[in-house]
Amino acid sequence: MGSEIILILLVALFVMILLGFHIGIVLGLISGFGVYLIIGNAQAALSIISSTAYDAVRNQIFAVIPLFVLMGDIVAKSGAATDLYRLCDRGLARLPGRLSVATVAGNAVFAAVTGVSVASAATFSRIAYPEMRKFGYDRRFALGSIAGSACLGMLIPPSILLIVWGVLTELSVGALFVAGVLPGLVLTFVFAAYNVVKASRNPDLAPRIEVDLSDMETPQQRRSEKLGGLGILALIMLVIGGIWGGLFTPSEAAGIGVVGALVLGLAKGMRGKELMQAIYDAGKTTAPILFLLITASMYSRLLAFGGIVSIIQDFFNGLGVGPATLILIIAIIWLLLGMVIDSVSIILLTVPIFVPLAMQTGFDPFAFAIFGILIIEAGLLTPPFGLLVYTVKGSVPDPDVTLGDIFVGSTPYLVMILFVASLIWLFPILATGLLVFM
Amino acid sequence: MEKGLTSLSRVLHIVSSAWVLILAGLIFVDVMGRALFNHPLLGTAEIVKNSIVAITFLQIPLAILIGAMLRTTIILDAVGPLGRRIIEICATLLAIAFFTALAIGSYEPLIGAWRIGEYEGEGAMRVATYPVRAVILVMATLTAFILFWQLYRLITGKKHTI
Repeated sequence: MGSEIILILLVALFVMILLGFHIGIVLGLISGFGVYLIIGNAQAALSIISSTAYDAVRNQIFAVIPLFVLMGDIVAKSGAATDLYRLCDRGLARLPGRLSVATVAGNAVFAAVTGVSVASAATFSRIAYPEMRKFGYDRRFALGSIAGSACLGMLIPPSILLIVWGVLTELSVGALFVAGVLPGLVLTFVFAAYNVVKASRNPDLAPRIEVDLSDMETPQQRRSEKLGGLGILALIMLVIGGIWGGLFTPSEAAGIGVVGALVLGLAKGMRGKELMQAIYDAGKTTAPILFLLITASMYSRLLAFGGIVSIIQDFFNGLGVGPATLILIIAIIWLLLGMVIDSVSIILLTVPIFVPLAMQTGFDPFAFAIFGILIIEAGLLTPPFGLLVYTVKGSVPDPDVTLGDIFVGSTPYLVMILFVASLIWLFPILATGLLVFM
Repeated sequence: MEKGLTSLSRVLHIVSSAWVLILAGLIFVDVMGRALFNHPLLGTAEIVKNSIVAITFLQIPLAILIGAMLRTTIILDAVGPLGRRIIEICATLLAIAFFTALAIGSYEPLIGAWRIGEYEGEGAMRVATYPVRAVILVMATLTAFILFWQLYRLITGKKHTI
């Protein structure tokens, strides 16, 4: 009886989300309503809502979300990303397509100090796009490298998606971070290789540049670059190294990372106003995520209440499909959801159901997490709701760029993300390999 | 009215966002104290834990006001202005229902916590639960109020989107 009500509610939930109601509010309201229908007591429903609101994020681990977002925002606004881009560019010298490869490399390094992709997409739209266009790069090729490589932000730790995944599945967030490192490097390598190959086969896309960009710089700019580049590297060693080496818990690393980013920002000449802006923007990113986490935990209470997870599991098991087909079905559902809702919501809605299913097939939990995050973040690039595509459109200083340009340009990256996801599926050791050293 | 609500939400947002920076400072002092002087800052974990809940709720009014809450626009973009307005009105009504339920549901636990002096944590660092409970209640009420204001504007046609 209870489970039928919940199934109907789940359908209502998806309809309401599709209609464009706020996802967090729909989750909370449907959960409260479901409890009311099952128990028949309004007081119980109210008390589930209020006790979850009080309890759901009352844990130190949730501090990593606002802290890592703040760290990323401070670094982004300090101008250190420009330094990073220039340093990568200079390091690549005469490589074909070096400006777009520098975009990939810069994103990979920047991903290690930020937990969300949006910050990288916005930053590199402003820095790398004008530079690439100035040297005659094809518009779509340039846009694709920005939107595509921004995805690295969600995979290379610290990553908000990994944190949410860890919280839901009770896997150690620190270990998940470490599991994301190698796949992140593999994806970076694949992206970079694609750019080099593409640019050397078709120089029209990315003309060879003979001048050294840094020749046009003043000694002062060079000093500032060194400071920014070294500062970011030091931050990465401190945060990721500290977690990997067991020196800090993730929340300690996040707190220390913010202090480090603040020092870097001040050294780069950031003052009150810019700092305030970084703090303000970070809050704007985190509030909806934390709110969603609270109401999603109301939703998982509802799922637990009606035993719905086991019913859905029985349904999938009843299909009589093999483990590989099951994983494939899960991946397709994720891709479809990725077209309409954001990554955090997808994880919150589906992970409590899919993870137990995947575990039955013998998928390693850490490898499955990385696999899942790759598939889900592919949704950041798919139409019609490709979050990164919209971010690039909103940040690129060129009004002629259309959403279509960016979608087309980033399609190869989508394919490469799915390719690396299948690599993780075939060789889970890519995700689990580094965990041995923890 | 609009101005008052916006600046109030903004102030709450800035205070809570700056609070994150203070938390980072606390954690830093705690870790350094432990590492260098073998003397951690007692109660950091408790403070961080409770702060996160308060910070989240202090940021909700502005998130609602500026439409930062996560949603998909796939159908919203496809329907005409009237359809859009109807969806927005329904979404706002539901949001009002949610925050009102949250405010009502939080009332009794708050009074109870206040009356019996409910504490969490052990030993040196005990934290009273009523401040965080009060933040949730007040913010839920304020958010419901903001939503009522938005609903009024939607119905009277002064505003077409959230």
